[in-house]
Amino acid sequence: MSTRQRSRTAAAGSESIGTPVGKAVFTTAGVKKGLVAALPLAPGVLVYGLVFGVLASGAGLSALEAVLMSAAVYSGSAQLAALQNWQTSHALAPVLLTVLMINARYVLYGAALRPWMGGLRVTQAYPSLFFLGDGNWALALARHEQGEHDAGFVLGSGITMFVAWIAGTLWGRLGSNWLMHSKALGLDTMIIMFCAAMAVSAWRGRNDFASAAAAIAAALVTYQALSGGWAIVAAGLAGAATASIRSGDAKKPPAGSP
Amino acid sequence: MNTSPYFLLVIGALAVASFSCRALGFFLMRYVTFTPRVSAAVQAVPLAVMLGILVPAAAAGGAAEWAGLALAALAMKITGNDLVAMLAGVAVVAFMRMQGG
Repeated sequence: MSTRQRSRTAAAGSESIGTPVGKAVFTTAGVKKGLVAALPLAPGVLVYGLVFGVLASGAGLSALEAVLMSAAVYSGSAQLAALQNWQTSHALAPVLLTVLMINARYVLYGAALRPWMGGLRVTQAYPSLFFLGDGNWALALARHEQGEHDAGFVLGSGITMFVAWIAGTLWGRLGSNWLMHSKALGLDTMIIMFCAAMAVSAWRGRNDFASAAAAIAAALVTYQALSGGWAIVAAGLAGAATASIRSGDAKKPPAGSP
Repeated sequence: MNTSPYFLLVIGALAVASFSCRALGFFLMRYVTFTPRVSAAVQAVPLAVMLGILVPAAAAGGAAEWAGLALAALAMKITGNDLVAMLAGVAVVAFMRMQGG
């Protein structure tokens, strides 16, 4: 897998420059370097935070609630799905499962960071993981391949992204009080329109067809039998299961796999 | 409106779920590696979830929503900019609702 290959190359890269294996570095200087290095990513994150703030406004969240959600969940697509859920029902279980599914990619991200950060103290590694986002994960791994040993970089770059995300959320939410419940302008469809755009960008090619079809079928059935919230969960699971089965078919079918 | 105890409970649960994902892979790599099957499943989730949000909304909506979604997807394909795509879709919905009365 690309993430694992990447982390392996990263680990090999650091060895070749002479870092003692298993000795992790984590310094304030590294944190500062990360803070600065992620600055070019901050405007983009700020804009997405802004969008989320506006959408949260449309979903009826207060400014405090929007900021709390951004700080606690800290994942754009997961928060978007949570908002869509929240508009139709306030049931906890479907929102919780949706967030777990969408953030499952962080399981892979964290795994890819293990070779670099495995030697850190728990009090250094896990706070760094809290602030981990898509952008700074990719940035940090790229820098690591170029020889960056200091894992403080991961925390620093994450903090920059986090601050931009929260600032954007607050700005978007406070700047959009006027659009609460303005259905005539079509603003109630902002979330699904944004999701349509994200679906197009998530589409990687013909190979995705089967899992997309499974997701649509699952969503249609579940939406009618249960609710829109459960339709998201069912679609995610159906898509993931289909992709998983197909990845096994593409190679040799592994015996006795789940 | 500020917040409610129930909302705080939900946010707390979501926070735990979100951080668990961030911590779990790092933690588990001490003991296991991830198979291509698991990776393929995880990578298919974003598209599937977006469809899971779209499909019920489209099924419950009418011509305005469908036209908006189609244009949003098209705009994304052409411009590659998700904000432009969103605004295009919303504009279509607003326009068609106005026409409808």
